[in-house]
Amino acid sequence: MSISRRLQKELADIQGSGAKPYSSVEYNESNLLHWTVLLHPDKEPYSKGAFRVQIDFPADYPFKPPKLTFLTKIYHPNIDEQGQICLGIVHPDNWKPATRTEQVLMALLQLINDPEPDHPLRAELAEEFQKDRKKFLKNAEEFTKKHSEKRTD
Amino acid sequence: MSEPEDQMLTDDEDDFDCAYYDGDDIDIREDFDDEKCNSDAEQAKIESLDTFQVERLLNESVASLIEVSRITPSLAKILLLSYNWDVKKIHEMLNKDTEGTLLKSGVKPMSTAKRPANNTCLVCYHEDEELRALCCGHGFCVHCWKAYFETRLSEGVSSKISCMASNCMLVAPPEFVLRALDKASLRAKYERFLYRDYVMSHPELRFCVGKDCLMVVRSKETKPKKATCTKCKTSFCVICGVDYHAPTSCDTIKKWLIKCADDSETANYISAHTKDCPQCHACIEKNGGCNHMQCAKCKHHFCWMCFGDWKSHGSEYYVCSRYKENPSVAAEANHVKARRALEKYLHYFERYENHNKSLKMEEELREKIKRKIDAKVNEHEGTWIDWQYLHTAATLLARCRYTLQYTYPFAYYLEKGPRKDLFEYQQGLLEKEVEELAWAVERAGTSDRGALEAHMHRAEHKRITLLQDFFFSPSEYDAPSSSKFR
Repeated sequence: MSISRRLQKELADIQGSGAKPYSSVEYNESNLLHWTVLLHPDKEPYSKGAFRVQIDFPADYPFKPPKLTFLTKIYHPNIDEQGQICLGIVHPDNWKPATRTEQVLMALLQLINDPEPDHPLRAELAEEFQKDRKKFLKNAEEFTKKHSEKRTD
Repeated sequence: MSEPEDQMLTDDEDDFDCAYYDGDDIDIREDFDDEKCNSDAEQAKIESLDTFQVERLLNESVASLIEVSRITPSLAKILLLSYNWDVKKIHEMLNKDTEGTLLKSGVKPMSTAKRPANNTCLVCYHEDEELRALCCGHGFCVHCWKAYFETRLSEGVSSKISCMASNCMLVAPPEFVLRALDKASLRAKYERFLYRDYVMSHPELRFCVGKDCLMVVRSKETKPKKATCTKCKTSFCVICGVDYHAPTSCDTIKKWLIKCADDSETANYISAHTKDCPQCHACIEKNGGCNHMQCAKCKHHFCWMCFGDWKSHGSEYYVCSRYKENPSVAAEANHVKARRALEKYLHYFERYENHNKSLKMEEELREKIKRKIDAKVNEHEGTWIDWQYLHTAATLLARCRYTLQYTYPFAYYLEKGPRKDLFEYQQGLLEKEVEELAWAVERAGTSDRGALEAHMHRAEHKRITLLQDFFFSPSEYDAPSSSKFR
């Protein structure tokens, strides 16, 4: 009942006018529980490409948090090879029903732009990020060029 | 009772409770005065409380906090929860920084919000709803509050449910939650969880671990002594709640139990069927007849028999069949180390486990002795008092063996050195006395009573000495530092 109204409202907000660091929200009209969004990070080295993220809403959304997964491969300390993300705002212990998907996406972009090497999912990348920033940036840039999607902004 | 009980009495008039497992109320009289107090010393000073008594205790804390800080009872409870019921500390914190303390524990809102336009609930986006808000003013519709509380409850969260608004950490007080929940079963569940949180956050309270027992044990004990629930008679460690484990510390027994749960099933198999890769020490099971092994993990090629690198192995193939006086220690060192670690663990585990099994068998023996005594009394071969010493002996045996069982995890984690040598020396003495006592108890009734009592005395004496040196006397070694142990 309330879930579709909420999701429709959120979709409208996200697709609304104004410059946004994400685009081309895709979803199935008959099932609003699964979206994909193309993220446009604005900081080097990720600003060279766009990244597709899948958002899965649980049946008891918004009382339980959505799950976010990267579909595009990314060279990032906080995102693992399977595309899983460690993002505080959607952690079940921290989740707040009034938190909107827009806020979640902004938090995710913030994490992409400024990795948190202290809570890594990929320890080796976190170490490289902290100890040899130059090398990390070079690797991440090459990886972005090779795997990311074309930006639409 | 008539006079024969005087036979049982020795010059010492003090009682001590010997019931070690089931709380049998048999007072036995023993002749070691100094040890009596030690046996008592193992018992934690506790108070068993039922739900009503716990509520009363908690309410006393609430009342004393209200007296000094003038807040409502339900807010006082939230404060008490976040400061582990330390009224003095809360009082101090409130004096130092009232605002910060109230904010931090979710009693006071960070910011307040105005009523949303058109009375729209910002969770479900329905308009013209009846909105309800905590004192932060974040209004949401009744249905959303209800669904939210139900979800949190299903996740086991009760006392720390906060407002639904992003970034608002204000805790929902019980009356607000209870008002939103409409099903009686859910309200009961919420109150049950709340009670659980209250007890678990209280440093002096601990739920009895007995199956389906609702009692709460209250104790100020700081040492891992033994608590026995007055209702269901279950005994457990007053600090950590697992089976009483003197002389081992709570940290150590926890590590040991985890290790046993992880290892015991597989350790034997690993020991018998596998070897470790000489390079990365991954455990390898041989799956073919050929001795040329490649480690699946690090891709190292080696010989299954001599652990030499396969590359150098090829040219001198059967060198590994010859016994080397001086094997290349470096190459084997790690393999040997890993094996030795396993051997060490199995050494301690087997002894620990063996005593556990013996305890179970001797429990049956104790029952048998009880029946035997009954039979003798029925046939007028003396009175129960005359034969009670047999039962006492079996009880004492169980107590000594129980301590002995728990000396093994202690020894396993003890670092090499004079202290360990001393411990293992005393452990050896206790082991010997327990064996002799077990032998004597099994033949009790036919053998000499005097001899049996001498055995009892010696075993208990060794047990007490060991506990006194390694459990009761505080020493720098006993500090539960996990880094110390390997």
